[in-house]
Amino acid sequence: MGAGIAQISAQAGFETVLYDISQEFVDKGLERIRVFLQRSRERGKITAEGEQQTLARLVGSLKLEDFKGCTLVIEAVPEQLALKRETFKKLDAICGPETLLATNTSSFSVTAIAGATQHPERVLGMHFFNPPPLMALVEVIQGERTSAATMEKAMTLARQIGKTPVPAKDTPGFIVNRIARPFYNEALRILGDGHVTVETVDRIMKGAGGFPMGPFELMDLIGIDINFAATESLYQSFFHDPRFRPSPIQQRMVLAGNLGRKTGRGFYTYGEK
Amino acid sequence: MAKNSVAIIGRSRLAEELLELSRAKGFEATLHPEADGIAAAASLVIETHATVAEDKKEILKRLDADLPRSSVILTSCLSSATTRIASWTDKPERVAGFATFYPLKEKKVIELSAGLKTREESLQQAESFFRALGKETVRVKDGPGLIFARILSLIINEAVRSLDEGVAQAEEIDVAMRLGTNYPQGPLRWADQIGLDEVLAVLEGLQRETGDDRYRPAPLLKKMVLAGWLGESTSKGFYNYGK
Repeated sequence: MGAGIAQISAQAGFETVLYDISQEFVDKGLERIRVFLQRSRERGKITAEGEQQTLARLVGSLKLEDFKGCTLVIEAVPEQLALKRETFKKLDAICGPETLLATNTSSFSVTAIAGATQHPERVLGMHFFNPPPLMALVEVIQGERTSAATMEKAMTLARQIGKTPVPAKDTPGFIVNRIARPFYNEALRILGDGHVTVETVDRIMKGAGGFPMGPFELMDLIGIDINFAATESLYQSFFHDPRFRPSPIQQRMVLAGNLGRKTGRGFYTYGEK
Repeated sequence: MAKNSVAIIGRSRLAEELLELSRAKGFEATLHPEADGIAAAASLVIETHATVAEDKKEILKRLDADLPRSSVILTSCLSSATTRIASWTDKPERVAGFATFYPLKEKKVIELSAGLKTREESLQQAESFFRALGKETVRVKDGPGLIFARILSLIINEAVRSLDEGVAQAEEIDVAMRLGTNYPQGPLRWADQIGLDEVLAVLEGLQRETGDDRYRPAPLLKKMVLAGWLGESTSKGFYNYGK
């Protein structure tokens, strides 16, 4: 997701540093952005000049020190709490107190990540949705010790990069991942109850509910493993509240490697991969 | 001819909408808020009460006693399994279930369910009726709320909990769900349109039928229903509506 976030930042006119742990990953990220911008230009959504200017604002980096002096740093490292805390500890030492430090975490508490720093008042969550260039929402998360000024600045910055920010408290799943849980989880429960197919449930949710995609189609698109991990994380965070209990059907699919579109097989089958 | 005669029982917006739609499609349709005065010619009686199981039981018993044996009763199974509703009558074979939320206009698909004793012909008659209204029908396993209303009620319940816990404001929750997941409406605005009492009825029905705590209604949802803040229909719900 890091590359997608870097892209919208550069497109909005900010000088942007894209950091990763190896040159290979940095190059991959920059290449993804180039391809996306090229397609946008071919579809007439941006001009050739806009494309060049965006690319000129982007620089790859292998050193966290390059973030010194930035207005905002958005972390999108893999979802491992120890890794995130380690990253924030380093950033906290490198960046002056005027720099906002944001995590794009979807499953950890912002407060837990901020706890690794000396200046938790400038640490917050900025949760983007996939793919960031296309999804308008950013959840702006206030940790226990995030200052009001930090929240205000982050809301403004989110608007400046063309997003619709929604402020939320630092609670498990924030707004979207929590409230959307039953869309997947109850559909799985209904499937487990028997006498119904995934096609029928999807057809009903689209035809009766007006949802653009049915829950099973959507899980296949998101990735069964990603979706299962999100549910498990909420279940743990809410201390095993039965509202969030994960589905054995979904667990079995993860164990079997049937992860949805990306493996060619999920609730539906797709062209062999 | 009796075949095109439909009696609709209830006083909800859904009942009024059903009346309007069936008349527009050429049915001889009548509305009965008190479940009385139904012509013997009505071959299909649609009972729309989602809430208050005790009242619903009385209504079903009265309909069962008053109606000729040949009439089919199509009942809203938002809050109870069709089998349970049918068990209140002496002729459970004529009781079929349906579950949907207001507004009906936008729904392409209507879910129907048979109780354990429901006769095939009863369900077929319900299917023909909805098809005549231009809807597709799907038969699903019997249970409170069937599929769409069950899933949506749980989404709304989680949104109400989040609101009550102060995670975010109502507008913010709705914006986040529309933009973050492409829902057609934010869950709280959606609840106001449906009626909070109907959403609560589904949750309470699921909790009662399954005994599973995952269906426990949010305390704020219960309070708002007790206060009579049911949404659009009462001018106040999670939002205010001018009258």
